[in-house]
Amino acid sequence: MSLLELRDVTAGYGAKLVISDVSLTLAAGEIVALLGHNGAGKTTTLKTIMGLLPARSGAVSLMDQDVSSLATPGRIKLGLRLLPEGRGIFPDLSVADNIEAVAAQNCKGGDLFGPAEVYQLLPVLDERRTTIAGTMSGGQQQMLALSLALLGRPHCLMLDEPSIGLAPNLVERMFDQLRSLSRSHGLGTLLVEQNVAAAMRVADRVIIMNSGKIVFSGTPDGARAAGVWHYF
Amino acid sequence: MLLLQLLINGLVTGSALGIIAISFSLAYSTTRIFHVAHAGIYTLAGYVAYALEKSGAPDIVGLLAAMAICAVAGALIQSELYARLAQRRASHLAVLIASLGLLAVIQNFLASVFTPNILPFGSAWRGRTLSFGGVTLTEVQIATLVICLAVFPCSLWFTRRTVLGKQIRAVASNPFLAEITALRPQRTFVIVMAIASAMVAIPGALVAFDFGVQPYDGTTVLLTATIAVIAGGIGSLTGAFLMAMLISVLQNLSLLVISGEWSVGVTFLIFLVFMLFRPRGLFTRR
Repeated sequence: MSLLELRDVTAGYGAKLVISDVSLTLAAGEIVALLGHNGAGKTTTLKTIMGLLPARSGAVSLMDQDVSSLATPGRIKLGLRLLPEGRGIFPDLSVADNIEAVAAQNCKGGDLFGPAEVYQLLPVLDERRTTIAGTMSGGQQQMLALSLALLGRPHCLMLDEPSIGLAPNLVERMFDQLRSLSRSHGLGTLLVEQNVAAAMRVADRVIIMNSGKIVFSGTPDGARAAGVWHYF
Repeated sequence: MLLLQLLINGLVTGSALGIIAISFSLAYSTTRIFHVAHAGIYTLAGYVAYALEKSGAPDIVGLLAAMAICAVAGALIQSELYARLAQRRASHLAVLIASLGLLAVIQNFLASVFTPNILPFGSAWRGRTLSFGGVTLTEVQIATLVICLAVFPCSLWFTRRTVLGKQIRAVASNPFLAEITALRPQRTFVIVMAIASAMVAIPGALVAFDFGVQPYDGTTVLLTATIAVIAGGIGSLTGAFLMAMLISVLQNLSLLVISGEWSVGVTFLIFLVFMLFRPRGLFTRR
C-alpha cells in the first residue's frame, strides 16, 4: 500500500501553472528526496498535497483514499504532516505551549506521538519547556518544528528544506533521526532539500523536478550515475 | 482631596478603558484587522442594557444579555464580513474601510431606533454613593472598578493558561503553521471576535449605567483605547491595560491645571511624545 500517491497532478497560482503532470508514490518507512533548483515546483507540490493549493487536474491519494476534494484539516486527520520551510514553530509561545496547543488538536488518543513521546525523542525540548520558542537556536527551533509535525498519528511526513540555516553536523544528526523515525514507526517521508548531497545520503529514492515536471525518478545511485547535477 | 478624587475617578474610567483596550488588542493581535467596528459593539452593549432596563429587567440581566448579544454580533462580523473579505483577498485598507462602514451602520441604526440623544438609565444604584477617606463614588463606579479589575487577570489567565488561549496565541504567532497543524485559524478568528466582543460589552454596559447611552460616543473611546494598545506594546494585554489606566488617570489629573475640553488633546500630546521615545510601546513582544 502506498501512503501517498499523486497521479498526473497539475497546479498553480492564478493563471500561472507551476507543476504539471506530477506523479509520485511514497511507501511506509520510505524516505523520498524531492530535489530541484529554486522555482522547480517542489514547494508547490507539497502545498498541493497538503490541500493548501487546489489541484487543477489529477488526483492526490492518502492511505489509498482519494483526498483531492478534502480540505487541509481532513488530510491532517489522515496522518499527513508538513514541516514548512523556516516557519515551523509558534515563535511567541514557550516550547511547552507550542506542543500543548498542537497536541490538543491532533492528539485524540491512540497516538504515535503525544507530548511525552516527543519530549523523550527530543530531550533538548524537555530542557527548554519554558523557553520562548523564537529565542532558541536554529537547530533547537527545527527540533521543535519536527516535534509539532510528529504530534498525533502521522503517517506521511513532508519536510520543506529542513536543513536551511543549520550547521552540517546538525543536518546530519537530524537526517539520522529522520531515518530512524521512518524505519521504527513506518513513516513515509517526502524530503524537499537544497542540500542535495545530504538528501541523497538519507533518501531511499530520489525524484528530481525541473520547470514543474518530474525529470528523474530512481535510486540515489541511479541519480549519480545518470549525471543529473545540471538540474541543481 | 480633589487630587485623590480625580485619581480614583481616573482609575475607574481607566479600568473600563483597559478592558476596551485589551479586548481590541486580543482581536487585533490575532486577526490583524484594525477592528474599528469594535466601537460599535461597545455602543451596542449599552443600548442592549438600556432596552432591557426599560423593559423592567435588572441591570445584571442587561449586562449579561449585552455580553451574549455582542458575542454573537462579533462572531457574525468575523464570519460574514471579515472572513469573506479575506477570501476575496481584500487589502488591509479595504478591510479597514469596511470596518469603518460597519461602525457607521451600527451607530446610525442605534440613532434611528433610539434617537441620537443621550438616554440616561433610571436605575437607583447610579445615584447611590459611598464615601471613604474623602472620596465619593457611585455604586456603579465601584462596580465598574471591581468588575473591570477582575476581568483583567481573568483574561491573562485565559490567554496564558487555557488550551484555547494558547491556541489563540499560536494562531496569532504563526497563522500559516496554525493552518497546517489543524488549528483552523478562521474558526479561531470567529471565537476570538466573540470573546473580544463579549469583553467590550462589560465596560460598554457598565459605563452606560453611569453616563447613559449615546450612539456616537464609542469612536473617541476606542481611539483612546487603541492609543493604549499601541503605547502599551502591540500584543501585550498587560501593556494595554496599564497604559489605559495611565492615560485615564493623566486625563483626570490634567483637570487640575487645564479645562476638561483639552484633556483629549493632552492625551494625544502625551502619546506623541511617548512614541517618539518608545516607538514600539512599553511592553514590546519579542
